[in-house]
Amino acid sequence: MKQIFAIGVGGTGAKCIEALVHLHACGLLAGDDGTPSRLGVFLVEPDQQSALLTRAQTAINRYGALKVAVGRNSDNFARAELRDYGQWSPLTTSSGALSLDQVFPKAVLRTQATGVAALFDCLFPPEEQQADLEVGFRGRPPIGSAVMSRINLQKEAQVGQWQQMLSDIQTAAGSGEPPLIHLFGSVFGGTGASGVPTLGQLLKNWLKSQSLSSVQVQASLLLPYFDFEGVADDDTGVHAESRNFQLNTDAALQYLRTSGKACFDRVFLVGSDIKARFGFSIGGTSQINAAHLVELLAALGVRHPLTSTTGYAHVLSRSDHTCIRWDDLPDDERIGEGLARGARFAVAWRNNVSHDIADAQKVPMRTFLSGAPWARRFFHPAGASASRGGRPAIRDREQLTVQTAIDQYCDTLLQWLNQISSNLGSGFKQELLSSQLLVPSDRFENNLSRVVMGKARPRRPAKNDTVEAIKVKMDALSSERINHRGMAGLADCLWNLVA
Amino acid sequence: MRGHQFILLAASVALGIIWVYIIQNWIFLNLFAGLLVGPGLNLNDYLQTGSSPAFTVLWAGCFSALLIWIAQTLSGKPRSSKETRQMQPMWWIAAVILTIFGWLCLAWFTVFVWSVTGTSPAAGMNSYPVPAGGWIVLMGFVVLDVMLLFWVPTLLASPRTYRLVVPGAVTLLGSR
Repeated sequence: MKQIFAIGVGGTGAKCIEALVHLHACGLLAGDDGTPSRLGVFLVEPDQQSALLTRAQTAINRYGALKVAVGRNSDNFARAELRDYGQWSPLTTSSGALSLDQVFPKAVLRTQATGVAALFDCLFPPEEQQADLEVGFRGRPPIGSAVMSRINLQKEAQVGQWQQMLSDIQTAAGSGEPPLIHLFGSVFGGTGASGVPTLGQLLKNWLKSQSLSSVQVQASLLLPYFDFEGVADDDTGVHAESRNFQLNTDAALQYLRTSGKACFDRVFLVGSDIKARFGFSIGGTSQINAAHLVELLAALGVRHPLTSTTGYAHVLSRSDHTCIRWDDLPDDERIGEGLARGARFAVAWRNNVSHDIADAQKVPMRTFLSGAPWARRFFHPAGASASRGGRPAIRDREQLTVQTAIDQYCDTLLQWLNQISSNLGSGFKQELLSSQLLVPSDRFENNLSRVVMGKARPRRPAKNDTVEAIKVKMDALSSERINHRGMAGLADCLWNLVA
Repeated sequence: MRGHQFILLAASVALGIIWVYIIQNWIFLNLFAGLLVGPGLNLNDYLQTGSSPAFTVLWAGCFSALLIWIAQTLSGKPRSSKETRQMQPMWWIAAVILTIFGWLCLAWFTVFVWSVTGTSPAAGMNSYPVPAGGWIVLMGFVVLDVMLLFWVPTLLASPRTYRLVVPGAVTLLGSR
């Protein structure tokens, strides 16, 4: 089984991890033999209040809860394994320091190393020295680099989340297919631009010291793909400014050209000339940037086969300047099929099947069955709480827990799919998914034919592409084709039939 | 609608025709003649010009209702169990109307048609003198006919998610 260790650095890195988790849930990180890879995720972010970090963590937690709830009661749905290594802040190594002049105590520097103190003053203006770093590195890579360079991976490998992940990397490297370490982050902000190359280099050095040369370290580096709407007020202090994005990017790419190979075995560079617009935020809970297609493309770098191409830096382009289609995605047949399945499942489950199950809680089972013959394949027709023939009652508390886990993950997936298909930037459109259908709704959605656009849409007549048609198929399936019962079995069956 | 449902539908319609035109009359003649024949009533005459036309019209009504039911359920796009179940009251309304319609047909061909047309079914009679017991038997057969001509075909041939919506279907077909 292939093992992938993904590290998201900063807010954009967290968003890429969110995209990666959804790709994983859609079965798109499988190995060559089709076996789902094991994905480990780790979030590095000084801004522990970041809404983007919370979003990524929510996706991770909800998929994790789904996986636990479904357990082994499924053949294809939620089969991918996910290990959450948690969140880590580089400021935790600085003894509680929250500003640069606390990380590098100036009073101490002035008495013990006046030259270094002078250099510190020369490199960092007073407002940067005193800026509160609890909201991140404020779009300033030099601040991030100064903090990140103090990380001692050998020391971190002894404790906490790093210890768990590095230990797993060691174990994975010693068993079969070498694992892959993939870092995500922007090169135009603060945390990602400073953290990704630094961590890449630290990891490569650590792997070398452990004689784990088979482990590849690669990164998806995000070039500018959004601008800020609005500006900061006078009290904001040092903050990220979109006018600096290009400058930061140029500096990062220059560094990558000269020293990139010391950090990564290969990189994937992806951005957008048509920028999405996000409201200005210094960080923290107010940083609620919607998910973006570029983050999906960055996450797809993980799937890029190690042997398919040589070369260090990989870039991607689209065929139409104003529009993106399935053809523009790498390995578009497989990606289109996987994402289409995920989108159609989420709509069918969250906006139809789950509502039906809620209805079943209000009426006698026999009454419910008279309008839902498919349900008897998965649930006991008498509604008995004791399992008979492997079919639990539709009102079993355990079954309802599974339903809640699936509902919650579907909500997260729908939100992400909706945002990547609607948050595009002025004058740019996509022909991948119908964003207006990718929202949780109390209406029973039946028509699935418009959820996916273009070539990834299943080739069947629109009038037959309905949730009802799937329910009819479920009712008619032979018993041999239904391997699992209960809520998980129903979800698994829907997952198989919705494609 | 699945292939076997078409076969069951055709079989139940064919059985209905045989029932109404052959078996039912045989039962009236051989099992219930004592209850149906009243003073001055020729049962053969009554079966030919009274009950048979009434049951033929009932059969036509049931067949029409069956076609409407199949067309409705085939073209329906229920989005939920609740929406599917909304057809259940429709089925009951159809069944009740058919039953009342059958009774009215009996009354028409036994009593009213003669008064309205001013003709006589037999010498000295302005309607067929069916005894009370006969009426009960005939009315019971209307209910039986509605079951055979409407309930059975809809039970066996309701398509897709409507498969179990007909009364009794969950019990009889729920394990299939």
